[in-house]
Amino acid sequence: MLDNHPTLSHVVGRAGWYVLTFLVAITINFFLPRLGDANPVDTIMAKVTDGLDAASARAKEEAYLKEFNLVEVDDAGQVKRDAQGKPVRTSLGRQFINYLGMSLRGDLGSSILQHPKRVTDIIKAALPWTLALQLPTIVFGWLIGNGLGALAAYKRGVFDKLMYPLALLASAIPAFCFGMLLVYVLGIRLEWFPAVGGYDDGLTPGLSLAFLRSASYYYVLPFLSVFLIVVGGQAIGMRSMCIYELGTDYVKYAKLLGINESKILLYMFRNAMLPQLTGLALALGTMVGGALIAEMIFSYPGLGMAVLTAIQGNDYPLISGCTLLVTVSVLCANFSVDVLVGFLDPRIRAARQQGS
Amino acid sequence: MRLLKSLFKSPFFVLGTSLFVLTLSFALLGPLFLNVDVNTRAGLAYMAPSARHWLGTDHMGVDMISMLISGLRSSLYVGFLAGSVATTLGTLIGLYGGYKGGLIDDVLTAGTNLFLVIPSLIVLILLSASIDNGRSLTLIALIIGCTTWTWSARAVRAQAASLRSRDHVALARINGYGTLGIVFLHVMPYLLSYIFMVFILQMAAGILSEASLSMLGLGPYDSVSLGKILNEAKTNEALTDGAWWAFAPAMVLITTVVFSLYIINTSLEGVFNPRLRK
Amino acid sequence: MSGPVFEVDDLRAHYLTRFGQKIQAVDGVSFSLKAGEILGIAGESGCGKTTLVSACMGLYIPPLHLSGGDVRIEGKSILGVNSETNRREVLGKKISMIPQGALNSLNPTRKVKDLASDMIRSHDEAKDKKALYARLRERFQKLGMPADEVLNAYPVELPAGMKQRVVIGISTLLDPRVVIADEPTSALDVSTQKSVIKLLFELMDQGIIGSMLFITHELPLLRHVANRIAVMYAGEFVELGTTEQVIFDPRQPYTKALMGSMLSAEPGHPGQKPVAIEGAPPNLAQPIQGCRFAQRCPTKQPDCTVNRQGLRVAFDRQVRCDHAR
Repeated sequence: MLDNHPTLSHVVGRAGWYVLTFLVAITINFFLPRLGDANPVDTIMAKVTDGLDAASARAKEEAYLKEFNLVEVDDAGQVKRDAQGKPVRTSLGRQFINYLGMSLRGDLGSSILQHPKRVTDIIKAALPWTLALQLPTIVFGWLIGNGLGALAAYKRGVFDKLMYPLALLASAIPAFCFGMLLVYVLGIRLEWFPAVGGYDDGLTPGLSLAFLRSASYYYVLPFLSVFLIVVGGQAIGMRSMCIYELGTDYVKYAKLLGINESKILLYMFRNAMLPQLTGLALALGTMVGGALIAEMIFSYPGLGMAVLTAIQGNDYPLISGCTLLVTVSVLCANFSVDVLVGFLDPRIRAARQQGS
Repeated sequence: MRLLKSLFKSPFFVLGTSLFVLTLSFALLGPLFLNVDVNTRAGLAYMAPSARHWLGTDHMGVDMISMLISGLRSSLYVGFLAGSVATTLGTLIGLYGGYKGGLIDDVLTAGTNLFLVIPSLIVLILLSASIDNGRSLTLIALIIGCTTWTWSARAVRAQAASLRSRDHVALARINGYGTLGIVFLHVMPYLLSYIFMVFILQMAAGILSEASLSMLGLGPYDSVSLGKILNEAKTNEALTDGAWWAFAPAMVLITTVVFSLYIINTSLEGVFNPRLRK
Repeated sequence: MSGPVFEVDDLRAHYLTRFGQKIQAVDGVSFSLKAGEILGIAGESGCGKTTLVSACMGLYIPPLHLSGGDVRIEGKSILGVNSETNRREVLGKKISMIPQGALNSLNPTRKVKDLASDMIRSHDEAKDKKALYARLRERFQKLGMPADEVLNAYPVELPAGMKQRVVIGISTLLDPRVVIADEPTSALDVSTQKSVIKLLFELMDQGIIGSMLFITHELPLLRHVANRIAVMYAGEFVELGTTEQVIFDPRQPYTKALMGSMLSAEPGHPGQKPVAIEGAPPNLAQPIQGCRFAQRCPTKQPDCTVNRQGLRVAFDRQVRCDHAR
């Protein structure tokens, strides 16, 4: 059946590959944080064992170990013990399998630092902020960046000479540098915008007008710091692509046929867009990373901040949870772009149909 | 040599190289002329620029210029090492896959894309966070190199694949050269200029990655780096205090180095890839 | 329609380089074509053939500029109008071009019918979709192509020979009075070449094409195609005569050398070994004293490097050589 539907087999093939990537990602996600020595339970115990005698301390420790799936549990829910009566620690391999199972069910465990909060709850609170920052910056940044690049390639002249070094500079400034610069100049020196946080301290998150107004006010700097860099990077790339397209034989022929300018520009744009879309898939990882860093600089209450505090506190479940979520979203986005380009570009379609 | 001449005609190349060389000399020759000492408290915390301390002091009272030079050296070192590792890894994988084609190519490409798609920042964060002790500059550079090679692998592979069908390669094959021989004697020489361009970009990426990591507090434990300077500025409220010398020069240095590398790359592209010439 | 369809009158065009150099790529070309006539233009690469195409069509995009002269189609000049009028009224409509390398000339992301529609719509012949498609269909079928299949395909889906036909079809959609075929067969195998030329002849017979300029560096081809041949060198015509004259009885030294460098033994040149022409064409950025071919001419005379050679009528044709025999 798949043979008769090259499009379907293409999509299925790509999906399969992405599933494979996901498995690799989740493996990396699990093992890397646990490469270090620190035992998460020790961290909690340090906070909790004041005033407890040895027996209750041990009981509490076992309870935590059980909770974090670090010890083997028998069918009755009791901790298994070895010959000396000590709890049997789960092997790393078994921990991984448990982790896989839990993650696929959507359960990411409890945070260590913010115990007893569940990781999924922490993520749920932080996610809207991150989405609000990521989506507009990436989508609009991509669109406007490519538009500017196309314009520069077509118009040339002064506009191009001005835009090109600016865009190059914008793409060269590291995201956090730019962020810090904005904070300093616009936030502290000129006091036009707030320097840190997501909203005014006195307000509680919700859909109230006051909150939304405050949140938008705090939104500007983090948004700009990522947006401008994305625009710069995209503009440079698109400009090169468009210059190339404008020099092709088919543009020359179209001109000789007397096809009007706006149509030719459309050709150029559409043909340059396709590799740019593919490039988007590759650059998504970087853009997402840049937005996360911006959050960290501005103490913006999104996933970036969550990851930062998690790192500083060795909070593995939270680290793993956040990074897994980010990785999965990037993979999904990549997959969508992949499929989209496969549909839009006749060259790819033809290659597929010719049985490559 | 005609190549060098046309390179020097390009304003981008001249600008980029001069900037880079300037920064490099600042890092390498600075200690010869200025007293670089990052360990002594030469003054009070966050003293403004003065005759004795041209760019003031940091939060510990250490002379800022010393910090900057030291940090610059570290950043350049990491950039160079990470860039080399990434380029070497990427080139080897890309060359092999691109030249061989077929199943090997498919597997290598799938593997490369795999690591390409997983955000490298995430991997870097995870790796650095897990190596709590002994996070030296070298180790960080190696880590960065091992996570950012994917881009060069992809780029080199595309070039190698297009060279695969060239006549001189077919000739070499007929003459009985083995794969290694062909790759190194007949394919790579054509790609040297391209590989160099890739290296420049990888170096820039390495410097940026290290700076990002340090900025997050995951930088080297024992050395000073430009990212670390920025991190310390942020955590010690240099921004709110208005102590611009604590972070602005570092930012300028990072941006200058990366920008100069980008420009050099653009000019190289203009020379090696005539289609982009106006 | 009496009178010439296509007149080119002392046409001169130059390039202005970034460094301010002026390269006179076309330096005084004149000829005229009647309806149904095919003029072949032969010459090495770099002689100015390609520039001549743009110049004849009135398409002057910097760094190419018009130096002087006139081009008239059916008596009316096509120069001296602004680029927008040129695009709308002239390009593709009065005079059209069939490009070299048709394989790359079609926009890969545009279906054939869409490209053809773009072309028609750009010339203010906006019709509704159905009528437009019907018109395309009719024309493509006339040209011997499976219309529905071809029109709805992307260029990448068509074989090379079909692509060439598509290009010819699109170029002649508006029944141009003059068609310039720029090396239309250079990338094709012999049998495809034959069918392309046959197609061009048919189009001329049906009046879809008025007259044709056939540019090529392949002389044997011109023998079967052209009524008259002009040999071009360094921006100017060095000989202009009928096909028979130029191929079998060349008079100008360059033409002679060109004929002598042909590889296939044509009847009339039995047992001739190909002789390559030594040297290279002159650099047109520098002012040239005397005859442009003098450096490489086997029959060079002392005054050749001093006196500028003019195009004169001799031996029933035009020759640019005072010493032609």
